[in-house]
Amino acid sequence: MSDAPSIEAYAARDYKSNLKPIWCPGCGDFGVVQAIYRALAAVGRPPHEIAFVSGIGCSSRIPGYTSAYGFNSVHGRALPIAQGIKLANPRLLVLVAGGDGDGFSIGGGHVAHAIRRNVDLTYIVMDNQIYGLTKGQLSPTSPRGLKTVTSGYGSLEDPVNPLLYVLAYGARFVAQGTPADMNGLATVIEAAIRYPGFAFVNVQSPCVTFGQEEQQLRQHKAAMQPIAGLGHDPGDRLKAMALAQEYGTKLHTGIFYESSEAAPTYEGLVRERQQQLAGSGPSRADVLRPFVVS
Amino acid sequence: MRDDLIIGMAGAGGDGIVSAGESLLLAVAREGYHAVMTKSFGSQIRGGESSCRVRISTRPVLTPGGLLDVAVALNWDDFLRFGAELPVSGRTVVVYDSQTGVAPSRVPLGGVSPLEAHAVPIAEMAKRTAGSDRAKNSVVLGLLAGWFALAKERLEDGIRRKLARKGAEVVEANLKAFAAGLEHAAAHPLTAPFAMAPAQRRGETLVVDGNEMCGAAAIFAGCQFFGGYPITPSTEIMQYLSREIWRYGGTVLQAEDEIAGIGAAVGASFAGRKAMTATSGPGMSLKTEMLGLATIAELPLVCVNVQRGGPSTGIPTKSEQSDLFQAVFSAHGDAVRPVLAPTSVADTFDVTVEAFNIAEQYQTPVILLSDQEIAQRKETVEPIDTTAFSVVERRRPTEADLASYARFRMTESGVSPISEPGMAGGNYLASGIEHTERGAPTASGEIHAAMNEKRIRKLDPLKSRRDLFRTEGDPESPLALVSWGSLAGVAREAQRLAAGDGLRVKLLVPTLLFPVAETVYREFLASVQAGLVVEQSHQGQLYRLLRMHLDLPAGLRSLARSGSNPIAPAEVVARLREAAMALQRRPELHLVSQE
Repeated sequence: MSDAPSIEAYAARDYKSNLKPIWCPGCGDFGVVQAIYRALAAVGRPPHEIAFVSGIGCSSRIPGYTSAYGFNSVHGRALPIAQGIKLANPRLLVLVAGGDGDGFSIGGGHVAHAIRRNVDLTYIVMDNQIYGLTKGQLSPTSPRGLKTVTSGYGSLEDPVNPLLYVLAYGARFVAQGTPADMNGLATVIEAAIRYPGFAFVNVQSPCVTFGQEEQQLRQHKAAMQPIAGLGHDPGDRLKAMALAQEYGTKLHTGIFYESSEAAPTYEGLVRERQQQLAGSGPSRADVLRPFVVS
Repeated sequence: MRDDLIIGMAGAGGDGIVSAGESLLLAVAREGYHAVMTKSFGSQIRGGESSCRVRISTRPVLTPGGLLDVAVALNWDDFLRFGAELPVSGRTVVVYDSQTGVAPSRVPLGGVSPLEAHAVPIAEMAKRTAGSDRAKNSVVLGLLAGWFALAKERLEDGIRRKLARKGAEVVEANLKAFAAGLEHAAAHPLTAPFAMAPAQRRGETLVVDGNEMCGAAAIFAGCQFFGGYPITPSTEIMQYLSREIWRYGGTVLQAEDEIAGIGAAVGASFAGRKAMTATSGPGMSLKTEMLGLATIAELPLVCVNVQRGGPSTGIPTKSEQSDLFQAVFSAHGDAVRPVLAPTSVADTFDVTVEAFNIAEQYQTPVILLSDQEIAQRKETVEPIDTTAFSVVERRRPTEADLASYARFRMTESGVSPISEPGMAGGNYLASGIEHTERGAPTASGEIHAAMNEKRIRKLDPLKSRRDLFRTEGDPESPLALVSWGSLAGVAREAQRLAAGDGLRVKLLVPTLLFPVAETVYREFLASVQAGLVVEQSHQGQLYRLLRMHLDLPAGLRSLARSGSNPIAPAEVVARLREAAMALQRRPELHLVSQE
């Protein structure tokens, strides 16, 4: 098997599975999965060479709606599983998806490490500022003061800023999109997949059932500001961080940051080390030989 | 002439007591003795107390042994901190540093008068000969070589090899310190001379500890991925693999936490590679959710738990067998996971390979329950003929399977062919959510029941694997011992001692602890009227696990004790003798259970 990925002509529908989504009618995630189909078709890897990993939450159902190999795992742990997959078989295209609770609450500790290892993964977070699957509790990105079933008098905490979080840990590709702009979303997801290293896409994906009224697709459509129109330099991390500061007040879409410096991926370094040391020890059958005393 | 010698040594961390033990072990191994060395520490990183025991024998050794033949105390405070781990008796030769200021007639050993006590100016001799009291351990080795006729040339050679990289001066200084020890021994002979019989073993031997053995066996079994997080006393498995696994096309990920370590291993297994993680009890607690995922997603995985004294941080540097309940019962949602335990360093090879084979064959996580004593003790091991082992690969789908692939297809065995990303036609959704044969999420009670049944039924053949149980002794014997893990060595030695004493005792050592092989136990227990389940935990966890699954003979009792409180073979034999006497007098007494 050659190391070069297979690129073939695929249509978006080739990445769709025959499972019917269980999301509420009007859920933002319908748009996200469509954008993923389109991005995958543009990239052109066959579905069986794709591993799509998620945690738990409404959005984490998404791998099952694609024709790729999917892994709907446990809450917050999609990133470690995805890294194990990519290290075990670097030829695979590995996508990771989940919600804001998955990525920035229960699994928040894993994000920093996936970033610093620079494993070539595309991590898509569907950020809806609420826990939908468990019916409307506070999430780590809920705004201060939000009243939910677990914060009847209003949230007492500031939200996590996912964009700033990943930028601060050194993420080399950071983008945001919304299903209110399908073309824009498919484009940033495609760019993230093509980015040779860890890539992060925050998707403002509204929860129609428990989300805030002012955070629905219609409002997104009106409020969104494509970064491309701002004269922003996506090669400048500090400017990207300044822009990311506006998370929660403005809806910027597009690429915040894309490092142009070549950086080794973890799996690439693993491969190098394996090649350097291949055959340097006894055979498997003779693995105990170094313990012989003489 | 002695054919078995147990030496216990203790000092302050930095005294080099463990290093002396290692030198002694290598020297006697090269000489042709069988030997085992255990280390024990306080939990301090530097300083604090440290100790080791070295047992040397002309025959294979089963345990680090009980009462010491020789006790070496560089200072009494540190020696006494080890309590029952370094037990002195009236047959022990005690050697200690005279700078402790203790008179030989006043050694602080409670009510015990040792056979003889020698105050030796160890530190002073080190300073005089080597210019530094760092050479105390070389003085000690000289004393031992002199008094007990132990591998003098090999010890000198060992000093040269070990210290070579520190320069010729250091080597020379330590050889002088060693010679001073020899001279002192010659000038002050033991009152009751006691020399080791010459070594008998010929040919190669390995010197290896249980953690390294586990890592090496994993490589032999084809492991290509290890994900883990450092935790005493399992860390050496990761350390070994992080040096070696690359040579075999594998990789080690030191993860950000225990959960990520097992998570990455689960991912690697999903991607088609043999994968392992290793930890100790508290880490197992963190990994438990992920083990449930591996069970329902039917992914092969070996999860090693090197048990230590707990709960929580507990006594992390000491051995205990107190995570059996955790291994068996921590599973959420009716998950059954095979649990295996090795009984010695050598056995760790067999059992680790077996753990991979079972994991791959049945597509299940397997818990390998080692313990600190096996994991961190170094011993001589006869060369292992690896060609005698088979290595199992997971059942992959055929072309016909892939034509209409159902990942979780109901099969007669319960094992369904497993594809992996990259395999065209094998695409499926692995999930922690209950699923249909094709992997689609479902909340159907009917499907859930059928899938539970499949996942549990597929493990049934394990319960007939008699090769996962070792028995010794007369099958018709009314007296029995059952033991597992490192304590199996104690039970084995007790059984031999008992036989020498005319007691008919048979022994059962399970490698497979769960699922409980009821039939194997029933057959073994059919003739049994009395006996002991010997293990190192407060509750006697195997004993209670067996009671949950079987009607045990009323005379079968638990002999169990918290970690770091050794159970000696002689104690086991004494209990068996009492049981035998009681059977002779009043067999009906044993119809009354102890609880």
